[in-house]
Amino acid sequence: MATADDEFSLLPAGGTIAVIEPLAPEAAPESFSAQMARQVWRRWSAKLGLAWIAVLAFCAIFAPFLANSHPLLMRGSSGWQSPLLSSLSATDVLLLLLLVAAMALVPIKSLNWARKLRLLAWVGLLLSPALFWPDLIDSWHSGREIQWPWGRAAALGFLSAVAAADLFFIVWLPLRAVGGKRAWGWVLAGCLPLMVVFAIYPVRPPQIVVYERYREAQAAKLIHSVWWAPIPYSPNDNQRDKSAQFMRPPGLGHWMGTEEQGADVMARMIWASRIALSIGFISVGIAVFIGVVVGGIMGFFAGKIDILGMRLIEIFDAVPTLFLLISFVAFFGRNLYVMMAIIGCTSWVGHARFIRAQFLKLRRQDFVQAALAAGLPLRRVLFGHMLPNGISPVLVSATFGVAGAVLAESTLSFLNLGLVDQPSWGQMMNQALGEAGTFRWWVALYPGLAIFLTVFAYNLVGEALRDALDPRLR
Amino acid sequence: MLSYILRRILLIFPTLLGITAVVFFVMAFSPGGVGGPLLNAEGGMKSEEARVRREYYNRRYGLDLPKPVQYLRWLNHISPVGRVTDENGVMGRWAIKWPDLGRSFARGRPVSDLILEAVPITLLLNVLELPIMYGIGIVSGLYAARHRGKWFDVGSSSLFLGLWSIPVMLAGVLCIGFLANREYFYWFPAAGLHDLRAEQMAFLPGFVSGEFQRGWLLDMAWHLVLPMICYSYGGFAVLSKLTRASTLENFSADYVRTARAKGVDERSVLFRHVLANSILPLITVSASILPGLLAGSVVIETIFSINGMGKLMVDAVRVRDRELILAETLIGGLLGLLSLLLADICYAAADPRVSYE
Repeated sequence: MATADDEFSLLPAGGTIAVIEPLAPEAAPESFSAQMARQVWRRWSAKLGLAWIAVLAFCAIFAPFLANSHPLLMRGSSGWQSPLLSSLSATDVLLLLLLVAAMALVPIKSLNWARKLRLLAWVGLLLSPALFWPDLIDSWHSGREIQWPWGRAAALGFLSAVAAADLFFIVWLPLRAVGGKRAWGWVLAGCLPLMVVFAIYPVRPPQIVVYERYREAQAAKLIHSVWWAPIPYSPNDNQRDKSAQFMRPPGLGHWMGTEEQGADVMARMIWASRIALSIGFISVGIAVFIGVVVGGIMGFFAGKIDILGMRLIEIFDAVPTLFLLISFVAFFGRNLYVMMAIIGCTSWVGHARFIRAQFLKLRRQDFVQAALAAGLPLRRVLFGHMLPNGISPVLVSATFGVAGAVLAESTLSFLNLGLVDQPSWGQMMNQALGEAGTFRWWVALYPGLAIFLTVFAYNLVGEALRDALDPRLR
Repeated sequence: MLSYILRRILLIFPTLLGITAVVFFVMAFSPGGVGGPLLNAEGGMKSEEARVRREYYNRRYGLDLPKPVQYLRWLNHISPVGRVTDENGVMGRWAIKWPDLGRSFARGRPVSDLILEAVPITLLLNVLELPIMYGIGIVSGLYAARHRGKWFDVGSSSLFLGLWSIPVMLAGVLCIGFLANREYFYWFPAAGLHDLRAEQMAFLPGFVSGEFQRGWLLDMAWHLVLPMICYSYGGFAVLSKLTRASTLENFSADYVRTARAKGVDERSVLFRHVLANSILPLITVSASILPGLLAGSVVIETIFSINGMGKLMVDAVRVRDRELILAETLIGGLLGLLSLLLADICYAAADPRVSYE
């Protein structure tokens, strides 16, 4: 991918730029994406939107440290320990690691933003299987699930295959994607120690969590000193040790009140930001991928393929997405990934239309003809040369798509068809209207505001992007 | 044009086939299948009773047949030409027959009756709401485009985008919680479309034995206020923005300058020249709005306990009522496709430059 850019773009990327610099230091023109970013950043509405998304991302990454029933640090009969750290799940650690990787990538000067993002995506993708190792090792040690000796051998083989594939991906592919030797070094230096840490100190939270045991221990003076998280309640901590904590209005102990089961609303709100963020990005990622492939092929080949593709688009246009989502979720259980996949697979139509229109325009242009004449493979012409020139309208529709996906998830959760074991904003709102006409405003207002702000933030950013692309509208 | 319309109408059939097939097989392959809840609903049956009942359901709905065969049987039921099937599910001769949507598993009533009761309610909500949405959207969009960059333009654009971002759940729950609640303001009813006593009321408001009675019509209007608010507040944003964007181009067009130069009054310039030429995108977007309105009613109908299509769907899905879900999908898909087609025809009618040949 990257090598194609290097060979054919006017400005050489990476280290060779030093050759040009002394000749014309100010001649390097601002790239289109940098221009767009500057345009968007100039608008205060977009800044506000991005700020809210940043707040959400902060909550999502640091959720375990913001709201947790496990104390951060405590001194009991067996000395100092941190129940919070040992209760971290694989997802928590992965998110933290990604943050560390992102922070480490920021100061690297030799990489541009696109490559940094690409690298970060790789790191995330590749570290995620590493997080399942402990489970596999665990089941192999205990032999609970794998009784048969051949099964053990197979498990061991599978483990080493995963490890080898992981090493291969982590070391070799980013090398190809990034190119520069220095980036190579950074990746190695960053990932290998992490892998070693994972192998030595696997993340293995206890299976059955008794949230109230620390509070009880504190009451019984078994804990000498303790440092709680800012909100000392986990999202699923139903406070069974206290009496009558259900549906309490906001007060001193619970700043946003408690919900039906007695859990703290604020803790649930913070943890729910994970679902809100992930469903938007992943489902829109799927939709954009399908849309770009289908729309790109339609636009490039035109003619019969285009006509066929248009029929396909018309069919998917008519699919009642919400009906389909409701039936899928009701019949196949409440799975976040199924929801993401369905939203993604039914909402690619708009992206495909945009890409098709762009590619129909681009296919006759000189640089495309030149790339074809140079004998580049079709994949590279389509996605290496045409796509970067035609992707911008899709960025706008994708941003609005994220807002739509967040709304779809909260609608499902509101209809009681969403996730059960994980907190979600829509599901909390569902409890607002109780029997006998009671109205619990705190479980309606706070989660509702969070949904509103998130959707509004994405819409603001999308609008700013669109205006930056289409100056006639300003 | 005619051949285009014909082609589009022919295309409707494979599309509907695809959509219903997806929904059918999702239900058929789900854990427990469609028949599970039917047996569970009875609870604690003796094994002999359960067996008899299972046999009855299998005979009645063909649940023990291979799944593709079950789908073909359903297609046979809904098609106007097919094999006549009797009460016990035995196939008879080929004939032209009345399409049969089947009987609801859970309610035991014909699906067509249930849908005929629900469709007018959802349509009523939509028909009332569309003019509000389009009226406000077009007027504010035009005004914003004329006074481009002024406070109304900037203010309305942010305000409408904000309104558009308010989730319907929040609006509905807050409306009921604050405006239809004895703890706060009890101004509006919280559920349904009619009062319990509405059947005894006169049609129009009036005085019955010296006391004011609001009558059937006013009662319904009163019940409709909150759902209407929730239905319409979001639509302004899209329409207003679209109107603004499409009229902006035309405001600076040559023919508008000519019209102004020759002394056409501003009102005619606005409505006969600019708006008439900017109406196209509004037509296209209406095609995407119509099916969305049917689906969007799911939340509002659930919150306000209105027995329309959306609530019927959610209730049907909860008890896995196969025939009802399939019929709803079929009708929802059909309405969506027809509105797309209608928008295309309107598009060509509004702009002579557009042709589908």
